[in-house]
Amino acid sequence: MGRYVVRRLLQAIPVLLGTTFLIFALVYALPGDPIQALAGDRAVDPIFRATMREMFHLDDPLIVQYGYYVQGIFTGDFGMTFRGVPVSTIFEGKFQVTLNLALMALVIEAIVGVGLGLIAALRRGKAADTAILAFTLLLVSVPTLVSGFVLQLVLGVQLKTSTGIDFFPVAGTSEGWRSYLLPGLVLAGTSIAYLTRLTRTSLMETLRADYVRTAIAKGMPRRRVLGRHALRNSLIPLVTYLGADLGALMSGAVITETIFNLNGIGRQLFDSVYLSENSVVVGIVTVLVLIFIAANLIVDLLYAVLDPRIRYE
Amino acid sequence: MRVLKGAQIIAGTAVLALAVAACGGGDEATDPATGGAGAAAAPVTVEIAEPQHELVPGNTAETSGAEVLNALFIGLVNYDADKKPINQIAESITSEDQTTWTIKLKDGYKFHDGTAVDAQSFVDSWNYTANGANAYEANYFMGSITGYAEMNPADPDGDGPQAAPAATATSLSGLKVVDPLTFTVQLTNPFSGFPTMLGYTAFYPMPKAAFGPDGKVTAAYGESPIGNGPFKMAKPWKRGVETTISMVRNDEYTEAKAKVEAIDFKIYTDLNTAYRDLQAGNLDIMDQLPAEVIASAKAELGDRYIEQPSSGIGYLGFPTKVGADYAKSAELRKAISMAIDRKTITEQVFSGTRVPADDFISPVVAGYRQGACGEACTYDPVKAKELWDSNGGPASGAIELGYNADGGHKEWIEAVANNLRTNLGATVEPKPVEKFATILDDLGADKWKGLFRMAWIMDYPSPENYLKPIFAASASSNYSGFNNKEFEELLKKADSAPTVEEGIASYQAADDILLKELPYIPVYFYQTNAAYSANVKSVKIDPFERIEIANVEKA
Repeated sequence: MGRYVVRRLLQAIPVLLGTTFLIFALVYALPGDPIQALAGDRAVDPIFRATMREMFHLDDPLIVQYGYYVQGIFTGDFGMTFRGVPVSTIFEGKFQVTLNLALMALVIEAIVGVGLGLIAALRRGKAADTAILAFTLLLVSVPTLVSGFVLQLVLGVQLKTSTGIDFFPVAGTSEGWRSYLLPGLVLAGTSIAYLTRLTRTSLMETLRADYVRTAIAKGMPRRRVLGRHALRNSLIPLVTYLGADLGALMSGAVITETIFNLNGIGRQLFDSVYLSENSVVVGIVTVLVLIFIAANLIVDLLYAVLDPRIRYE
Repeated sequence: MRVLKGAQIIAGTAVLALAVAACGGGDEATDPATGGAGAAAAPVTVEIAEPQHELVPGNTAETSGAEVLNALFIGLVNYDADKKPINQIAESITSEDQTTWTIKLKDGYKFHDGTAVDAQSFVDSWNYTANGANAYEANYFMGSITGYAEMNPADPDGDGPQAAPAATATSLSGLKVVDPLTFTVQLTNPFSGFPTMLGYTAFYPMPKAAFGPDGKVTAAYGESPIGNGPFKMAKPWKRGVETTISMVRNDEYTEAKAKVEAIDFKIYTDLNTAYRDLQAGNLDIMDQLPAEVIASAKAELGDRYIEQPSSGIGYLGFPTKVGADYAKSAELRKAISMAIDRKTITEQVFSGTRVPADDFISPVVAGYRQGACGEACTYDPVKAKELWDSNGGPASGAIELGYNADGGHKEWIEAVANNLRTNLGATVEPKPVEKFATILDDLGADKWKGLFRMAWIMDYPSPENYLKPIFAASASSNYSGFNNKEFEELLKKADSAPTVEEGIASYQAADDILLKELPYIPVYFYQTNAAYSANVKSVKIDPFERIEIANVEKA
């Protein structure tokens, strides 16, 4: 298995180089002078512009700029924003916030999604099943923007002003893990729906399998049949989905982070794309790609744990 | 011009534009929370966007950074209710010829580290800001001082291949320390309004401790600036990571001791979120409100909602020299101006958060004349159509209206486009571009032919600031290509008047030329919409849209 892991990691290198160059070129292709964009409506002082362009190698051709960037990475220098904050500093504070948010969302979606899917599969065709399916439909159709604002207003503002219960902070990260409850729930919204349906389908299929019927027939307790045999064998598609979702949650949190004023990378990515801050965009994307690759690798390795028939060469 | 805080929240606005539509009217009147337990010790919290640079006066030219520095520093002058400069650190600011200014300081002012605020601390700070090599954002504020050109040599071919020549000086030759409490400032041209400039962030002094052994402002200073004002940093602020800037009262500061013990500036990326925090009682002061909540805020907050004129003006500009035919003709420009229904646009599109503009000089500074624009800014579709038709308007092609799609300008530009279509019978093409920089680039390269949106907020409360930097032929922000000899003469005359008051008549005469020529069309004046929670009282906003933080009290 060790060789398999090493091979997978080596495969990541060309993927990384390719994605970083692609992103670099895309940001490079954005129109408008980034230094002018810094100044908003005012004309940029030409000396300021010249100094900044020089400092960030903006006058060089694409490939040379990319060369500077890669060279910097090998010397441990991830570059700087146009406003003079080193990219490493941004990683330090902001990745933690986004990671917390994504993990919170992942936990919520795993508990709620699998839980609801389980109930739906066991109560197949009954009222609870229909209600859960209808609920997932609702989750998918309400955009994050709406759910975010509504939850913030109802649980953050109105709950506090009407009852004095100050449990859900409106915004910010000052309340520790509680700060991530609402945004995590909002971010997990659509994934909960998908996961519920995935669990339901997968579990229903397993429940029809011969070995489950055999287990029930020989009088094994229902709880053990479900937990040990049915659920475990239905987990493979769920784990695949959760693994891929971690990356998606981290990179797709712009709106949630904005609504709940979380100082994370989603927001930073948006601003940096806007300002054409190549080194920041590429830096963040690189780390996201790494997380994607790592998550997928872990998922692949988990397959073997879940299903001992799977072997890696 | 300082960058509107809006520039920073643009992204948020773009993302949330949908949300706004979806949630409009969702803000039910809630009873704002009362302080909560332990409010006495809790700091007063103020909403800001993230300051764009380290907290150094010379590198701060946007509203959030200025708000923070305003609590840490005081300047040579402050401003009274009429926006006139009144001496603060300065004992006197005098000049015989409006060119050489002598600034005497009051004794006894101290930085937070105990060192004296002396003439040298001002000169050091200004020299550092003026040095092009430091690439400080507020560099251009020093442009009127003698010696600036030597420190910031112009690039001979603009953005072309030739490099700019090396600077021949590292300090402003126009600044001279006479004695510890006196220094002189030599300007390149007479300017009677010079004292009005001195209250702005860029002109704050910095202590010796700011500079490292290499003569550069240290990174530590940028994280924890040592000022001379009513508050001092409670702990260094790590930019890009921390979302709160904490300050405590400077008890050594005796002049106008702050009334609250501590302030936290909280960084928000979205104004709607901040407003919800204000409703929930987690935030005390916002100096800017999202447009969608204005109507409900008035009803909900009552006295705790502040509305006052701000220094911003929104324009539509013309490339008068290189543009389309309608942009080149003063009569056609006037026809377009008269066809715009400013009142309806400010009331409907901006929900009353802007007011129709009727002068090139903002109502917040001396020299503003109500209705100065007269007929040209008055909605009169019939006359506009006559003027348009009789001056060859229909033959001048489709009218282009350029705007940046990222800043929430679409609605009002579309409204103007409809006005022009209906009233002039012209073909109108709103032309969104992704960023404002694109329009400025094209204007710089003489490629932009149609109208473009434009805005300006003042650097210092003088009528000069609304005329010279935008319309003087050599001004860096002159995008219209306006070049008028008489206008320049009048500005020169006004600048050399013995006092600002005596110069005003000439500024107004220059203003009249603009109103006749209309290189830009003034469309609306911005307003400040601020609000505060029930936890605080005595909240006032100054002409720079900064909170008068030392006077804020706990309720």
